[in-house]
Amino acid sequence: MNGRVRPLVLWSTSTRRLVVVLVIVALVLFFLLPRQTQFLLQQLGRPVADVVSVPLEMMAGIDRGVRNWWNQYLALQGVYEQNRRLQAKVQELQGELNQLREQALASQRLAALLDFQEKSAMTTLAALVIGRSASNWYRGVVLNKGEDDGIAVEMGVITPAGVVGQIVKVASSTSIALLITDPNVAVTGLVQRTRDEGIVQGTAQGFVRMKYIPPLAAVKEGDAVVTSGLTGGFPRGLLIGQVLRVGEREGDLFQTAQVAPVVDFGKLEEVLIILSPQLSENAEAIDNVLTTQEENAGDS
Amino acid sequence: MKTGLILGLILFLVPFQATVLGSVSPFGIRPDLCLIAACLMGFFTGQVQGFILGFFLGFVQDLFSASDLWLNTITKSGVGFFAGVIAKNLANTASHSAFLLMAVFSLFSGVVFLVASRVGMDFGEVIQGFPSILLPQALFDGVVAVAAYWVVTHRTAETSM
Repeated sequence: MNGRVRPLVLWSTSTRRLVVVLVIVALVLFFLLPRQTQFLLQQLGRPVADVVSVPLEMMAGIDRGVRNWWNQYLALQGVYEQNRRLQAKVQELQGELNQLREQALASQRLAALLDFQEKSAMTTLAALVIGRSASNWYRGVVLNKGEDDGIAVEMGVITPAGVVGQIVKVASSTSIALLITDPNVAVTGLVQRTRDEGIVQGTAQGFVRMKYIPPLAAVKEGDAVVTSGLTGGFPRGLLIGQVLRVGEREGDLFQTAQVAPVVDFGKLEEVLIILSPQLSENAEAIDNVLTTQEENAGDS
Repeated sequence: MKTGLILGLILFLVPFQATVLGSVSPFGIRPDLCLIAACLMGFFTGQVQGFILGFFLGFVQDLFSASDLWLNTITKSGVGFFAGVIAKNLANTASHSAFLLMAVFSLFSGVVFLVASRVGMDFGEVIQGFPSILLPQALFDGVVAVAAYWVVTHRTAETSM
């Protein structure tokens, strides 16, 4: 080839053969023992991830700095900051409103039975989004908290407004969270108004949809979808989004709804990782009462 | 010098792709710099170097993406290796062959990812990945590869003079 650069490594034929054999053995292992090789690679990759996370955090800092400088000083001085503050406030209030609505609905159903106490907060850890998943095929974010901070796989990730996604990979000081818009994430959801359950999952187009809604459920546009608390990682009542439209085809056993996520994933900068998705005291009490009622009904 | 270049690429390419490139991704699609680097390394220096760089870049990329810990490692090292093999058998190379090679490798690697990341999903959703990610990324990778090819060939020509 013209302009060919001198090879970096000059290997003998026997070394090349050895490399080819090793590669073939590795490939066979990848396909025959996927779980074990994943674990092995995860262990091997941990120190590498620690080393690479240094330039990663450095570049994230530079990137953030340049973006902030651009937005605050060159684009719209003052207005940008004010808008950002107001948007954060709106998101916070939306989340608060939803929690209150959820509490109010629970109160209406069981006020006669329970003496509600103040809702106890779940244990969360704040993390900074330092990057996007290094591949276009998965919608994920890189967070600056890892195993050293108590992060583990399958923990839920939220913002004050609602659900963001789930942790899928953890290194010592960083972790990868897959967004709820990714088709590989599924969370059990609940239509807040009708109390119908379904599975909330991302789509290839980057939307979110709720599947397996009972065929007779009267779900309509604008209904809030919240976590049901049945899957690990998320407590009950966290806002996921709002129903955009309900699709029902003839012959389908279930309804499917398109959901607009409440979180703006394009502007995600800080998130909360749920370390312990403890049920709030009132939700626990509701569960206890419902279980007791079901047992009594079964006995009679 | 070249070992330093490889180490530098391994240390900085994935962080650059995960941070800075995220802010400048038209239509949400970023060029896969690791794939381009592995391909061009194979193209210019041979299959062994392409394989080595692809392997390590893929591994680091796997650590910082949500994919399984072998997808990028295998595809990138394969691309680096085969780019070297193909370049060895080309009588004459030009920027359009770099574009074509890169686009084909990007499509190949994209199909592997499409199948792996959409396991158990509707066929319609799998097909949706073609126009939304696979084709724009192949085009994007090809264009960036031509730019990188131009820079490398001009630099090589200047230093050899």
